[in-house]
Amino acid sequence: MLKKLFLGVSAISILFLHLGCGGNGPAPEENSSRKFGVVYQTLNNPFFVDLNNGLKEVIAAHGDELITLDSQFNSLKQKNDISDLILQGADAIFINPVNWEGIKGSLIQAKEKGIPCIIVDAPVKDEDLVLCQVASDNVEAGRLAARALAEVQPESKVVILHLSVNKACIDRVDGFKEEAAKHPGIEILDIQEGEGTREGARPVMRDLIGRFPELNAVFPINDPSALGAISALESAGKLDEVTVVTVDGSKEGIAAIKAGKLHSTSAQFPKEIGKAAAEQAYKHINGEEVPKNVVIPVELVTAKNADDFLSEGESGS
Amino acid sequence: MSQLRKMGPLLASVVGLLILFRIWVPNFLAVENLIDLTQQISVNAILALGMTLTILIGGIDLSVGAVVALVGTSAVFTLTVLEGSVSGGGQFTLGILAGLGAAMGIGLFNGLSAAKTRMPPFIITLATMQIARGLALRFNQGRPMIVPDSQTAFLAIGNGRFWGIVPYPVLIMLILFAIGAVILHGTLFGRHLYAIGGNRLAAQLSGVPVVRRETVVYILCALMAGVAGLIHASQLYSAEPASGEGFELDAIAAVVVGGTSFTGGIGTVHGTLIGAIIIGILDKGLNQAGVHFSLQYVVKGLVILGAVYLDVVRRR
Repeated sequence: MLKKLFLGVSAISILFLHLGCGGNGPAPEENSSRKFGVVYQTLNNPFFVDLNNGLKEVIAAHGDELITLDSQFNSLKQKNDISDLILQGADAIFINPVNWEGIKGSLIQAKEKGIPCIIVDAPVKDEDLVLCQVASDNVEAGRLAARALAEVQPESKVVILHLSVNKACIDRVDGFKEEAAKHPGIEILDIQEGEGTREGARPVMRDLIGRFPELNAVFPINDPSALGAISALESAGKLDEVTVVTVDGSKEGIAAIKAGKLHSTSAQFPKEIGKAAAEQAYKHINGEEVPKNVVIPVELVTAKNADDFLSEGESGS
Repeated sequence: MSQLRKMGPLLASVVGLLILFRIWVPNFLAVENLIDLTQQISVNAILALGMTLTILIGGIDLSVGAVVALVGTSAVFTLTVLEGSVSGGGQFTLGILAGLGAAMGIGLFNGLSAAKTRMPPFIITLATMQIARGLALRFNQGRPMIVPDSQTAFLAIGNGRFWGIVPYPVLIMLILFAIGAVILHGTLFGRHLYAIGGNRLAAQLSGVPVVRRETVVYILCALMAGVAGLIHASQLYSAEPASGEGFELDAIAAVVVGGTSFTGGIGTVHGTLIGAIIIGILDKGLNQAGVHFSLQYVVKGLVILGAVYLDVVRRR
């Protein structure tokens, strides 16, 4: 038995040795190809897939390599993923943090090794530990959503479906609240955690419909949770009475606008975020000055401009 | 000698994997990378140590992932509340005690329910997993809580290094495994656990205090989850009520790869450590080799299947 196993292990080793000598082999020292890594809180969201495509586009154009990792909302896995990239000697690491405070240890580790970290989409608390942060104007995205709601339905009783571990979402809700305060007709009934996903938002919305019969508007903080809320409203037969406004601009979100189920989404441009982030990395490598914060503008999408927006081909996926 | 023989295939896999990744990834065997590897596996290995005991007696503990979250939140909440009112050392001690106390509570409940009622441990711990998760989410409205900066001792648990070389989580892991090995393989208590796992009724009839032993096993398993939870919170500078989801499955994987039989009665502590190391090498190696993350899951799944298959073949 033991012999068989040893044979098996050596066979596998030889197989990999063979692979190792092929295209996957370690790059020779003088090869100038750079290696970058990116770690996402999740890739189960078209937004991050688009963002990754933006990164890849710029990095591939330089003939360099990008390692893409998915932390699956697990901070510990994210920490391990980042240290793997650091110890591989990545030239720069792009991070989309799960926990905007808890990422601190990884940032310190990268700083000690002199590896620049560029934060994408959701910011981190310890700004001084990173090279720069590239994100949508999330506060403005929240303001746009509240303004759109005030226009279409001045008397609104709103619930918010939050993802409060995420600073980008905190900013959106802050922007929403700030703008809502300027419209006396808008009243915020409650803020609940919707997890930022379709599966997470659906049951929470169902619960809220039961608790607040007067509810006539929802602000879920992204398209996936908006779609979850819409599905809950549909099954309760309340979608006609409730206006949904959100932030994202994904293909699915815009399809929901065209179907008349979603009123508006403050569109982000994830691919632009990815491209801008990669550009900052190259600027830094070339010794140029890099701004601490790069803000990518957002744009309100309603039924009026949904078609134009899709044809621009910039957003969504 | 026979112990070594049994460990042969596992050790061979470790060596095989190390050689493989050395070829694939430059600097894979660099000292710093290997130290990082041991640090990365520490939380899973400590959870797997506790899980080994429950699986050995024919049980299971699905609640450990949620306990990681509950312990982290209880400890960090206590640290934060006491900020300024107690001395730094007192704060630290009470924080740790609050965390481990919460773990013990869940462990005691699991153990008594499993030992005294005929409810299957799978269901009991599935329920306490929900309860512990819910309790963790009661803290700070379900939001992460940052560890106060003044708590340098607490932050050192996960981030400091002994003599500047060995990370504390690794030191803690090694000490716990050493204690675990002595208890399981060198005491009457350990032999009782094998007897219970081999045949519960026979053990009972031959005078093994089954109820007491089983209760203690679940408490120990929860305490290991408690230690892992403290390390987790320290490493992340914060307690996350939503963290630890799925950790129980990673721990079970390490136990099974390490040669512990899922039906109970067979298994070792050192096997589990090697199991955790194998999974850790795979995680790190595949990451550093730039293997697409989707493929990584497939490879890990195949390794677990392979390990269980070998186990079954060996037993025939």
